[in-house]
Amino acid sequence: MTTTRRTLLAGAALAASFALSPACAQGQTEIELFFPVPVDGQLARDMGVLLKEFNEKNPTIKATPVYTGSYDETLIKTRAAMKAGKPPAAVIMSANFLLDLKIEGEIHPMDALIKADGKTNDQFMGQFFDALHGNAVLDRQVYGVPFHNSTPLLYVNTDHLKEAGLDPDKLPANWEELVTTAKKLTKRDGDRVTRWGMMMPSNYDYGGWILQALTQSNGGEWFNVNYGGEVYYDTPSMLGALTFWSDLVTKHKVHPAGVQAGGAVSGAFLAGQTSMMLLSTGSLTHIRNNAKFPYKVAFVPKNVRNAVPIGGASLVIPTGVEGERRKAAWTLINWMTAPEKSAWWSRATGYFAPNKAAYDTPDMKEFIARNPDAGIAVKQLDVAKPWFATYKTVPVRKAIEDELAAVLSGKKTPKEALAAAQKQADEIMRPFVEQTALKLPTN
Amino acid sequence: MAQAVFTTGKARGWSVPRWRPRQATVLAFAMLAPSLLFLALFTYWPVLQVIWQSLHGQLRVGGPQAYVGPQNFLKLFADPAFRKALGNNLIYALGTVIPSLVLALGFAMALVKSSRVNALFRALFFLPVLIPLVAAASIFLFLFLPNVGLLDYHLAKLAISGSNWLGDPDVALWSIMALTIWKNAGYYMLFFLAGLQAVPADAYEAAILDGAGPWQRLRYVTLPYLKPTIGFVLVIGLLNVVTQVDHVFVLTKGGPSDSTNLLLFYIYQQAVENYDAGRAAAGTLVMLALLLAVTASSLRTLERSFGEKEP
Repeated sequence: MTTTRRTLLAGAALAASFALSPACAQGQTEIELFFPVPVDGQLARDMGVLLKEFNEKNPTIKATPVYTGSYDETLIKTRAAMKAGKPPAAVIMSANFLLDLKIEGEIHPMDALIKADGKTNDQFMGQFFDALHGNAVLDRQVYGVPFHNSTPLLYVNTDHLKEAGLDPDKLPANWEELVTTAKKLTKRDGDRVTRWGMMMPSNYDYGGWILQALTQSNGGEWFNVNYGGEVYYDTPSMLGALTFWSDLVTKHKVHPAGVQAGGAVSGAFLAGQTSMMLLSTGSLTHIRNNAKFPYKVAFVPKNVRNAVPIGGASLVIPTGVEGERRKAAWTLINWMTAPEKSAWWSRATGYFAPNKAAYDTPDMKEFIARNPDAGIAVKQLDVAKPWFATYKTVPVRKAIEDELAAVLSGKKTPKEALAAAQKQADEIMRPFVEQTALKLPTN
Repeated sequence: MAQAVFTTGKARGWSVPRWRPRQATVLAFAMLAPSLLFLALFTYWPVLQVIWQSLHGQLRVGGPQAYVGPQNFLKLFADPAFRKALGNNLIYALGTVIPSLVLALGFAMALVKSSRVNALFRALFFLPVLIPLVAAASIFLFLFLPNVGLLDYHLAKLAISGSNWLGDPDVALWSIMALTIWKNAGYYMLFFLAGLQAVPADAYEAAILDGAGPWQRLRYVTLPYLKPTIGFVLVIGLLNVVTQVDHVFVLTKGGPSDSTNLLLFYIYQQAVENYDAGRAAAGTLVMLALLLAVTASSLRTLERSFGEKEP
């Protein structure tokens, strides 16, 4: 009985606080920001600090950060909130989900907001690195504002290079050098490998991204940047990339077989059990803080050209956020992506600051001088290209990732795998293709 | 309030007996109403929604939901990934429920006598049950890490190179099954411990006097008495293998190449990754039908075995 009474009292108090809170916040626009933390818990606190400062500087707006898990979970929660009729005012959304959201009508262009600020789309997007435009500007309209971004990067344990009698200042720049270096770095104890020369993550989400990096380094494109219904899986550039990865495992025996999760790869690198790895620039801070040995980073080695996909997230405003809330969200987005804040967030996480001017701030200049690895990562943005995005991005990506896993486990040849992946991806995109590129005048 | 209804009903009941059942029904429903309301809101209404959704889908990309008939079901059965998940779930069910049952029975029989050492061992075997599945999976993530994980670390000391436990399509499902067995055996042991208390000591005495060896005692005395327990644990075990996929989510996300995809995770993928609510709803209904069939048949055997025990 006492518990019931106590619960009732607590409930009444809660109800009262709900009833009172709008009264307290009169004259303020309340907005919430859904944000994922792909790295670790510290960032959730950093986000709280960031928004607290925003609220102090903008007394007419009260922005609340809502932690929503991983990128995928953030998408789920955003869609759930929209279905319930309560879309969040702004969301930090994985950059390659924007096309899907646009196709489903779940985000709308921000052009009117940009125009109201007296800018053209080109002027607005001009403040961000060119490589980031492809995933934010769709059909020449701005659908998202880049918030934090990444590219794959080659990490090398330089102690291991020295130990193998190699020059620690000369990191592999092409596939040929990568194989010879990896062979020298791989250590064996009889049949058992005690140290791998090279590791690349191949779990869902990561595997597709790394394979895209290899494909682009091999001159390929992976998907049609201008049209969401086409992927180029069964092509020579992709065949070369996948065969190269498979050769590292089966022919050169410098890379472990089967699927490697991202965490397992960075763990192996930090434990000295792999000498080189391809991993996101988003892991730079983690590696820097935890590596007990000297390491260096370099561009992803090329076969045909230097090219990598971008990764990371953009800020979007879901459909259904209108009026004052939309304006308040826009104020928040602009504040968060301005040079100062962008630079601060970049130092906290290891991601790039998408705003070019962030690198002209004194704090950032000093940071880059102290951490040259972060500088190399930024330079790679010059050769970066849009991240893979199509109609139903995730299943289309999964189609090739399942085949990648089969190839790395020795179950399929690259040629068979790519044909199967292409077939499945085409099947998934068929409804979209039939309603767009194949929808022709009938009379 | 309810008390008032009750007394008036009673009073009137004496004078007009015809009214009595109706008043009692009203009272019963009045008392059931709160839970019925919540059941309706949170169970029956969602079930109806799932049925509705399973018959609807998008005709146009980005368009509204429209009636599509049985198409979602046809597509579901035509999807090789669904068939793969179904097959995986079958292997997973057989490969986890039977070993967990055997292990649990073994533990229970070894620890049936109450002593301090046995109490300690019971607690140790029960420990995995206390850990939430997500947490357990996160721990196993580190155990299974290739090269650096605890498992490979110890194997390396024996100069054996471990497998890529979660990254090899031939091994991954077995790794997940090992985790499930570890997690559940202790829980089932608890039921067997209780069940074993119900085996009368004189039954054993009689068997020993008749010259029955340990295997014969197990086969002809212990197991027959444990039949209801086995039936009950079987139901729980089968429900578990269909309704728990936390570890799949944490460890493999159904990969590599769908080798660890289970029904419930497949449904999640359809709803979330594929954004195809219709197919996810169809999958849910199929799973629900399977669950109902399994439960109904198991409960029937359960009842029968209870009946058998009565002299």
